[in-house]
Amino acid sequence: MKGFTAYLRAIWHVIQKDIRVEWRGRQGVPVMLVFSLLIVFLFNFALQLSPDLQAGLSAGLLWVSLAFASTLGLNRSVSLEHENNALDGLLLAPVDRSAIYFGKALSNFAFTFLVALILLPVFSLFYAQNMLKLPLILFILLGVGAYTSLGTLLATLSIQARTRDVLLPILLYPLALPILIAAVEGSRGALIGQPLAELQSWLFLLLASNILFHAAGLMFFETILEE
Amino acid sequence: MMMPEPHSDPARIVLAGLVKRYHNRPVLDHLSLSLEGGQFCILVGANGAGKTTLLRILATLTRPDEGEIQFFGEAWEPFPALRKKIGYIGHKPMFYLDLTAAENLHHYARLYHCDDPSEQIQTALHAAGLQNDQHKPVRTFSRGMQQRLSIARALLHEPEILLFDEPYTGLDQPAAQSLDRRLKDLRSPKRIILMSAHRPQRLLTIATHIAWLQNGIISHHLPVAELHTAPALQDYLQETA
Repeated sequence: MKGFTAYLRAIWHVIQKDIRVEWRGRQGVPVMLVFSLLIVFLFNFALQLSPDLQAGLSAGLLWVSLAFASTLGLNRSVSLEHENNALDGLLLAPVDRSAIYFGKALSNFAFTFLVALILLPVFSLFYAQNMLKLPLILFILLGVGAYTSLGTLLATLSIQARTRDVLLPILLYPLALPILIAAVEGSRGALIGQPLAELQSWLFLLLASNILFHAAGLMFFETILEE
Repeated sequence: MMMPEPHSDPARIVLAGLVKRYHNRPVLDHLSLSLEGGQFCILVGANGAGKTTLLRILATLTRPDEGEIQFFGEAWEPFPALRKKIGYIGHKPMFYLDLTAAENLHHYARLYHCDDPSEQIQTALHAAGLQNDQHKPVRTFSRGMQQRLSIARALLHEPEILLFDEPYTGLDQPAAQSLDRRLKDLRSPKRIILMSAHRPQRLLTIATHIAWLQNGIISHHLPVAELHTAPALQDYLQETA
């Protein structure tokens, strides 16, 4: 029990550190937000859609914005640890290394989810849709959780590569496709008011992705960091 | 997730038949070395000889391909409890540049489960001569200040094994002299210090032992006082002077 408390504390210390660095540097969330807002504005002006098409489009656009913004955040998270070999500092600490993975994954999740929460009212305004619906927020929680858990693992894998900024999207987007499909389909259903019971297959797929990728992080994080 | 109990044996490192290959080229090739508490050993060798690789293996940052390592009389495994006994100073300072010196040390103190982080941090900052700069972002620090902060970080948890990788690189004369003084203070009968140095002459009055890494093995390992018995090593030290 004492060991597990220390494990949870180590996760919290990594999250705290990431939040503090972001607060001081403000180089992650603002960039993610500007990028996602740009997508919202541009597509709003480019596409003139009938109301029945808007639900599908809003869900798709929301996830395009979140996926790209989250990838920017993941790249920032990696470069932060790469700069000055800060990751070595974490690896030297007397904590289980999977706690570092969970700390990084959770802070990446928190930053992307924060961007999503800011985006929702903007989407509501521009696409004449009420986006502040609990089922939609549930799909965002699960979708962002699965995406950032996979992304953190792949970002760590690419940390030593000189071309890591390019490598991460190349590795991440194909593997994240099932997550994005489930998230878009679930979000679309939530927006047109389908009951959750009808969307449970997408919900289960996202839940399974969360479990799978977090378990992969727990098992393989230390291995992929080994030289 | 389970953490084994920390070792209570005296500081001792034994390496036997250590092999590490990069791209099928052995950097360390059946290297053996034994270090006891109280030794301050300078690790010398040409660029690319494998000094950094050896130090990173000992710091549990790199896994060897073959060979046996014993720490404190037990087989080496990179357990969290073992890492609490090790302090490592690498080529780069391992700090978050947007955080202040105190914030960086707080982050590490928490990860190292320090009993009284605030007091230990103040003591470490005082010893590093950085107490007046503790609230400045590390980004504004000179190389010498970052190096002093690195040493403060590595000593926060009072490790018994200290590993330094070329700590003099990039330091100006006053900063190097300050590091000399700090190193003298760090010597202790309970502590092993292993330090790689490209130009080791200035350390010969501080260190107790010297080890020469060449062709993937430790070809010489002897007390500094017996250096006169190894003319080849003396010649090498002359060349690097």
